[in-house]
Amino acid sequence: MTVFQLIFREIIKRKLNFTLSLLAVVITVSIFVSFFTTGQASKNETIRLMRDIGFNLRIIPKKTDMAEFWKTGFSDYTMPESHVYKLASFKGLSYAHLTAVLQRRVIWKDMDVILAGISPEVPSAGREKTPMFFSIKPGNVYIGFEVARRTGLKKGEETDILGSLFSIEKVLPESGSEDDIRIYAHLHDVQAILGEENRINEIKALHCLCIMKGSITDSITMLREQLLGVLPDAKVLLIRAIAIAREKQRYMAEKYFAFIIPFLVVVCMAWIGILALINVRERRREIGIMRAVGYGSGRIAALFLGKAVLIGLIAAAVGYGIGTWLALEFGPDIFRVTANMIIPEIKIFYWCLIAAPLFCALSVFIPAMIAVTQDPAVALREK
Amino acid sequence: MIRLEKVSKIYRTRRGDVRALDKVSLDIKEGEFLAVRGPSGSGKTTLLFSIGGMLCPTEGNVIVSNRNLYAISKSQRAKFRAVNIGFIFQMFQLVPYLNTVENVLLAARVGTKCFGPEDAKSLLNRLKLSDRMYHRPSELSAGERQRTAMARAMLKRPGIILADEPTGNLDPENVEKILRHLVEYNQNGGTVILVSHRKEVDNYASHVIHLKDGHIQEYE
Ligand SMILES: Nc1ncnc2c1ncn2[C@@H]1O[C@H](COP(=O)(O)OP(=O)(O)O)[C@@H](O)[C@H]1O
Ligand SMILES: [Mg+2]
Repeated sequence: MTVFQLIFREIIKRKLNFTLSLLAVVITVSIFVSFFTTGQASKNETIRLMRDIGFNLRIIPKKTDMAEFWKTGFSDYTMPESHVYKLASFKGLSYAHLTAVLQRRVIWKDMDVILAGISPEVPSAGREKTPMFFSIKPGNVYIGFEVARRTGLKKGEETDILGSLFSIEKVLPESGSEDDIRIYAHLHDVQAILGEENRINEIKALHCLCIMKGSITDSITMLREQLLGVLPDAKVLLIRAIAIAREKQRYMAEKYFAFIIPFLVVVCMAWIGILALINVRERRREIGIMRAVGYGSGRIAALFLGKAVLIGLIAAAVGYGIGTWLALEFGPDIFRVTANMIIPEIKIFYWCLIAAPLFCALSVFIPAMIAVTQDPAVALREK
Repeated sequence: MIRLEKVSKIYRTRRGDVRALDKVSLDIKEGEFLAVRGPSGSGKTTLLFSIGGMLCPTEGNVIVSNRNLYAISKSQRAKFRAVNIGFIFQMFQLVPYLNTVENVLLAARVGTKCFGPEDAKSLLNRLKLSDRMYHRPSELSAGERQRTAMARAMLKRPGIILADEPTGNLDPENVEKILRHLVEYNQNGGTVILVSHRKEVDNYASHVIHLKDGHIQEYE
């Protein structure tokens, strides 16, 4: 009987012990691989995402006076609504949320309010996302807190805005910003009452990504140039705040990963160590028999270490498969920012193939030593 | 061939020391059939394990084939055992998940010469186990199990067979079979040491010793 044959026969005999050990290692490897694969997506060296994270864009008409823009919050100029669809089909940029906006200051019921028309979100290629912008049905409006307070209007009531009748779908809670004097409506309603058919004065794109090479500053310049090729009469404003937030989030995820993996590995090692210990106890007599027929310590240890290595190898292969599948299946939802970059990491497979058997062997080292030092004379005396 | 020089074995337990062998000196020649008799607890198993290199005596030397067994390393002792000694136990001691042939071949690859399935099968044929080759120990009768264990001990034709009450769990018919095989092995030149508390083994043995409280009481 070779050591391999003995390991194999014993595994078949004591399936539960083997299965439980294998399960623990498979779970650990799977989690590691899925975390690593998703995490690795953001670290890809040659093709980089902007700061590995998303950013927000505001696209406004080129002629906009920026001093005026920052004062009022919107542009006095307009651009065609079709720009938003051009941007949507632009290949160099992916976004999570995209909408077109037309805003104007109007006097209504003796109040200076901002009338904001918002288009429904333009769907992005790929996954369904929870909308970030209001999605208002034509004929309905949301009114800001201050507007409601001054006019006494309530939810469900009807009101006339610049000659058109609207039903109030929602009164927004107090925001403490100029949103309190906004009236939100469907883009096309606002275009109609303002006589600005097919015109908008801003496109908002949230959580954008673009694939780029080289330095970030160069890449932004390049992205701007490319966008201007598509939208020649527009201007691109880049908001970095979200980038920083995203970066923090990723940093936290990495810290979490750095904590959970060693923890998981230790638990897994203890688990298979204990199972191996149980296995050694169960096999006392067998070991005694093997000693009696002349097995040396090396061969006895090899029975346990070999089995551990086998578990490690199988778990590496199975765990890599499961982990990669998990990363590809659920990764894009969890790690939206780097979703496009999640690809199987073959490098990690080779790593697992070495590390998993090594850790398994390490875990059963003590039980194997116990098996080796066990007194065969005592074991064989047991009835 | 086997020489014990004032061998003592003291088991140290929490409830005090147990002197299982007390300065036992013994000479066993090559080709001898020695029966070791004595009441339970007299040290028979301890004696056998000491000779087999499985149990280090507290005092004294065990010299087998000119080797001082407990002066060499543990791994050398294991190798020595693999080549020179075959054990047979009262409880058969078969590996439960191996079939008959595999149990016989358990140690086939340990040691200098390699033995293959053909060697095991021809031996099993001689021991009348040809139709039980692929059965598990749990599917065998007591007599068949003991003959399997015997085949395992004899496969590599070791110079010495150590049998510890091999007939203890068998019916008279199987006792007879086992003893006949041991005699046959002995007649082919093997040294056999047989531990038993049955009087009738004296008829098969060339020498008999009686053990009591770790002493050799009688030597015939
Ligand atoms: N591992 C052990 N620890 C303590 N005492 C033992 C151990 N093994 C055997 N003994 C004691 O040593 C004595 C001799 O045992 P043993 O050699 O098994 O005798 P026998 O085989 O003649 O029945 C007995 O009293 C037994 O209780
Ligand atoms: Mg005994």
